[in-house]
Amino acid sequence: MKRLQREAPILLILSFALGVMLFPYLWTLLASFKTEAAINRPLALGFTPTFAHWRAVLMESSVPLQARNSLLVGALTVGVALLIGAPAAYAFARFNVGGPGLRFTMLAAQMLPPATLIVPLFLIMYSLQLLDSLLAIVAAHLTFILPLTTWFLIGFFDDVPRDLEEQAMVDGCTPWQAFYKVVLPTIRPGMTAAALFGFVLSWNDLFYALLLSGKNSATLPVGIAGFWTFRGIEMGRMSAAIILAVIPMVVASFFVQKYLVRGLGGGAIKG
Amino acid sequence: MLKPPLTFKHRLVLPLLLSLVLILGYPLAFSLWISLHDYRLTAIEQARWVGWAQYFTILTQNASFWNALANTLRFVGMAVSLELVFGLLLALLLHRKATPFRHFFRAVLLVPMFVTPIAVGLMFRFLLNSQLGVVPSVLRALGITIDWFSAQQALITLALIDVWQWTPFMLLLLLAGLESLPEEPFEAARVDGASSLQIFWHLTLPMLRPTILAAVVIRMLDAFKVYEYVYAITRGGPGESTETIQYHIYRVGFLYFRLGEASAMSYILIAVILMLVVLLFYALRRESLSQR
Repeated sequence: MKRLQREAPILLILSFALGVMLFPYLWTLLASFKTEAAINRPLALGFTPTFAHWRAVLMESSVPLQARNSLLVGALTVGVALLIGAPAAYAFARFNVGGPGLRFTMLAAQMLPPATLIVPLFLIMYSLQLLDSLLAIVAAHLTFILPLTTWFLIGFFDDVPRDLEEQAMVDGCTPWQAFYKVVLPTIRPGMTAAALFGFVLSWNDLFYALLLSGKNSATLPVGIAGFWTFRGIEMGRMSAAIILAVIPMVVASFFVQKYLVRGLGGGAIKG
Repeated sequence: MLKPPLTFKHRLVLPLLLSLVLILGYPLAFSLWISLHDYRLTAIEQARWVGWAQYFTILTQNASFWNALANTLRFVGMAVSLELVFGLLLALLLHRKATPFRHFFRAVLLVPMFVTPIAVGLMFRFLLNSQLGVVPSVLRALGITIDWFSAQQALITLALIDVWQWTPFMLLLLLAGLESLPEEPFEAARVDGASSLQIFWHLTLPMLRPTILAAVVIRMLDAFKVYEYVYAITRGGPGESTETIQYHIYRVGFLYFRLGEASAMSYILIAVILMLVVLLFYALRRESLSQR
């Protein structure tokens, strides 16, 4: 108790920050249970909860389809990124293939403004007749998630002791078997974190998805963006859809946090 | 011997290299080619070579482009400096072993950086809306009237939303930086009777400099891409007061269909970003050299 009293000013600052952070979610969550009339009276305290918006969003809108699209795009992007990125990250960490130049390319590729790539990607997808397909969005997301995943995993491979593969090869494994049977399982937490973080970035993207998708392939961010603009203001439904998009990200954040600094450091930061 | 066989380590990297050429190298080269043509989405067949003319016109005569660039720089400057201040404050508080519930606070305060930006933009559009919004209503009850999306205020509002979402990222990196600092200098300073403020100013801050630099550069590069808040809330308005560069390129390319011009703009944008990063590194290095 004494400690809490002595730390009161600090607790006050942190609680204030916590309040500022939580308030938008809580208010949006409340709005998703209010009638449109109640939403129009922001200062009235009491309201009778309604489930109409949630029912509308879940049963009558394209939000479930869009959520499915986002899920598929994210899973496919992350799957390909890990399949290609993990062996490359291992080669960077163990054999320093390509030297600092190639590592820097991984970093620079993530920083590239999407505005630079969208014009050629749009035209390529147009000529391949892939516009309004999930594949087009997956390809666009890979432009930043593939370099990121590779970069992310370098630090985790760095921490695997070399004796491990050497022992495996003495026991008769080929270098490839030593990699995927012995080394890969030891960095499973890193792989999970990279996959989740890549998924978060894919799920959150609006720019590429907006320009490459159509009616059938719209992802959740594209769907949410449409609530305010095209159908007039449907605040209650929009709130429900926002909460739906946000919840998986909040959950994922708690799993990723622990490994994020090491991953973003790309082998430069230990921790 | 015909050809040296690909060794194991090269085969590990080969798929990555091929993919990068396919999804990054080729589009970038294609984009450069487009930027040298008068290339319109409405008349792709009639694309014609114009050389560097579009670059020249953008740099010398295009007020909208410069306005968008200036808006973006103002946005990045405001957002990143506030994020640094708040992030550092929170990191220092959460680094103290005496702070109660620090792991809980850390875990929850980091959440906004993972949340869908378009959802964040729309939540704040709702919260700050002059009729429906709870924030203006509360402020009005207190006798304060702020039009959050007026021509003078809107860009600042967007920057504040960015601060809400991305201060956690600063907190994450700065906290990791603080935790990796050696303890001995701090103990020695405390034994010598240095005050907390002195320790912060003469010890923590200089030792944290590399982390701060890295965090600021990453955040800056990311803030340059701001698009979702503009799309969700202002669509560049009122007037062109919140037209940021990414949004401007989107508009020129996909609402006016002038793809050649949009590509040229995106290459100019890359050049501007590179110049800024080099300048920042140079300035900070010179500063740290002069302190020695």
